[in-house]
Amino acid sequence: MTTFTVSPPPHRRSKISIKTLMWGRVAALVPISLAAIYFFGFAALGNIAASILGAVIIEFAIEKAFKYELTILDGNAVYIGLLLALICPPTLPAWMIFLAAMFAVGIGKHAFGGIGSYVFHPALAAWVFLSLSWAQDMLPGTTPITSSFSDMMLETGAGFLGEVSPILVLLTGVALIAMKLVEWRIPVTYFLTTVILATLLGDPLSYVITGTFLLGVLFFATETVTTPVTKNGRIIYGILCGVLTVLYGYFSGNYVWGTLYALLLSNAIAPYIEVNTLPKPVGGVAHE
Amino acid sequence: MSAIKLDKLPEKVILPLKQHDGIACAPLVKKGEEVVIGQKIGDCEGSDLAYVHSPYCGTVESVVEMPNPSGKRVLSVIINPLECADSVDFVPEKDASPSRLLEIIKEAGIVEYYQKPTYLALKPGERIDTLIMNATFPLIANAYLDSLDKVLEGFRLMLEAGGISRGAIVIRADDKESIKAFKNAKVDGKPLIVAPIIGKRHADYYFEDSEDEIIVLAGGKITYTPTMMNLLSGDVMGRKIPLGYKPADVHVAVCGVKSAKAVYDAVYEGKPYLENVITVSGAVNRPGSVLVKFGTPIKDVVEACGGYKGEPGKVIINGTRVGVAIYSDESPVAKDTTGIVVQTKDEVLRDVSSACIHCARCVDICPMNLLPGRIAVMADQGMYEKCGEYYALSCIECGDCAAVCPAKKHLVQLIRFSKLQLLEMCAETEPAEVTE
Ligand code: SF4
Ligand code: SF4
Repeated sequence: MTTFTVSPPPHRRSKISIKTLMWGRVAALVPISLAAIYFFGFAALGNIAASILGAVIIEFAIEKAFKYELTILDGNAVYIGLLLALICPPTLPAWMIFLAAMFAVGIGKHAFGGIGSYVFHPALAAWVFLSLSWAQDMLPGTTPITSSFSDMMLETGAGFLGEVSPILVLLTGVALIAMKLVEWRIPVTYFLTTVILATLLGDPLSYVITGTFLLGVLFFATETVTTPVTKNGRIIYGILCGVLTVLYGYFSGNYVWGTLYALLLSNAIAPYIEVNTLPKPVGGVAHE
Repeated sequence: MSAIKLDKLPEKVILPLKQHDGIACAPLVKKGEEVVIGQKIGDCEGSDLAYVHSPYCGTVESVVEMPNPSGKRVLSVIINPLECADSVDFVPEKDASPSRLLEIIKEAGIVEYYQKPTYLALKPGERIDTLIMNATFPLIANAYLDSLDKVLEGFRLMLEAGGISRGAIVIRADDKESIKAFKNAKVDGKPLIVAPIIGKRHADYYFEDSEDEIIVLAGGKITYTPTMMNLLSGDVMGRKIPLGYKPADVHVAVCGVKSAKAVYDAVYEGKPYLENVITVSGAVNRPGSVLVKFGTPIKDVVEACGGYKGEPGKVIINGTRVGVAIYSDESPVAKDTTGIVVQTKDEVLRDVSSACIHCARCVDICPMNLLPGRIAVMADQGMYEKCGEYYALSCIECGDCAAVCPAKKHLVQLIRFSKLQLLEMCAETEPAEVTE
């Protein structure tokens, strides 16, 4: 007689796993990374490698030390490392970014309880760590201004790695949304809020729509761990990111920093948005 | 598409004496006794009962506990079937009064797809103004299109038996075959109205404008499974049903296609509930719908579908979302079996669950608008009251959330557990009573 497997349902699941989601995001960042290497040369390559290496090594060390299951293959550490490299200037010494990547995964991710539990995006946290520790080295050489289409293609004024080609970030990010690997609510509301508010306040969009901003909209803001899960919560979160970005950008004149600080602040507020946007079940509830 | 029929007699027939979620019957036959087709072999007393009849003729081999499709062991009558067509006298009763109709339905042991005996579903005690026929399982609905006039007549008889004035048949909007067949069908010589449910145009809207007793409504692209009763009534009637209430509370009763056909057979042919169409899908050579007599082992059904394709790894009863994986294909098809899914060894899931990454996929798919991932985490930590605040009790256990979760979490089990705990807590503090 044949033996059959007996197990609880579901017996069929969607093929999408955390691994697919993470490596999908990594793949989406490959074009912009290549563009950065092409533009900044060896320095960019070195920083990307150092950052990913730092992230993976510390993940390995921590999981070994605490006898956790190794999760390097799920792509999360690689993703955090890569993303961190993209929001740093190429002139940053590689050992600094190596340390920062360790901070990102070691403190930003694992100290908060690992995947699923961190409050702040680990790459953002590491960016703040770098900015506080070595402020001078984190200053970008130039500030990007995307005033023409060619700037969107190749931005010669790029300060950070991820700013060299806004269009690449945009295309791959939108592709992720189209493939349903990233949900649309946050990026759409974030983008629209920023554009509308900045226009109302009279700030030229060429200062606003930079590679970092697009990375923020499509990759940082959509980091599901740090966003509310409720539908309305996600819309509010997107709007909040937009408002904070413009507030900072308008008063300081720097939308690159505006984006990153706005995201950090929004991360902190996300849990409060969620508990205040609990949906009512279909059909309502008795005794209310 | 008509249903595949079994042409081979099974070696052994296993008739569970409890084939729905009610009380079990006591056997009326003993080892060695001869039985004929339609003979009542299980009797019971009480309020939630369904008598069991033998669909085969043959000799009783034994009366023992056997595995049944729900995965549990149930007292069953084992019959060695014979090639014979001997049956009890089937007495049709065409002009029965409503109360007699209800009696016939009860005698025939007809059970709804959601485990309730039909006679109780039609007369639950509350005032019922509409009977919904759930025909949103396309494969099943299509298999009955050949005998659509019988199904419709059975449905009409059900209305009569329950004293219900209106009947709404719900089909899926994308089930073209059924839509076409219903458009060509006639009730009392008049063509049926087939109308879509859009926005606020629910069943009441169409009933208002028409004299017809029965209308057909094409709903969304949802198959309403047994746990989605309230959702079905809400979507079709526009009458929202809050947690703790049931369709009957908003004057709605629900029946299936199979039971309508069974009612026809019971009234016009005098036959008890003996057979059903079930769907067979997955790793078999000829998947499709099969007309199966109750008690037939699943392995014979699979054989009728061309046998297993590849090496079978899992046999699932009643759907991959929430169905039960059985340990033996000797289990029989029972009244509450709707489908069989076969998976090959390679298809059997072996993934491990990890932490929730708050991706909100479960939130976006949940038909009840809940936060499944959140409830599951709190259930895991034993914070059941919190689960209640997140409306865990509203979960209909459809299984959609667990199917899409990239972290492969066992969401439904966790939520179900919190529901059990919550209900227990309720029972301790106050009697669970629903007041309007
Ligand atoms: S689908 Fe899974 S991982 Fe995503 S939010 Fe729900 S429980 Fe968490
Ligand atoms: S099983 Fe999951 S998707 Fe279905 S109602 Fe319950 S929580 Fe929602």
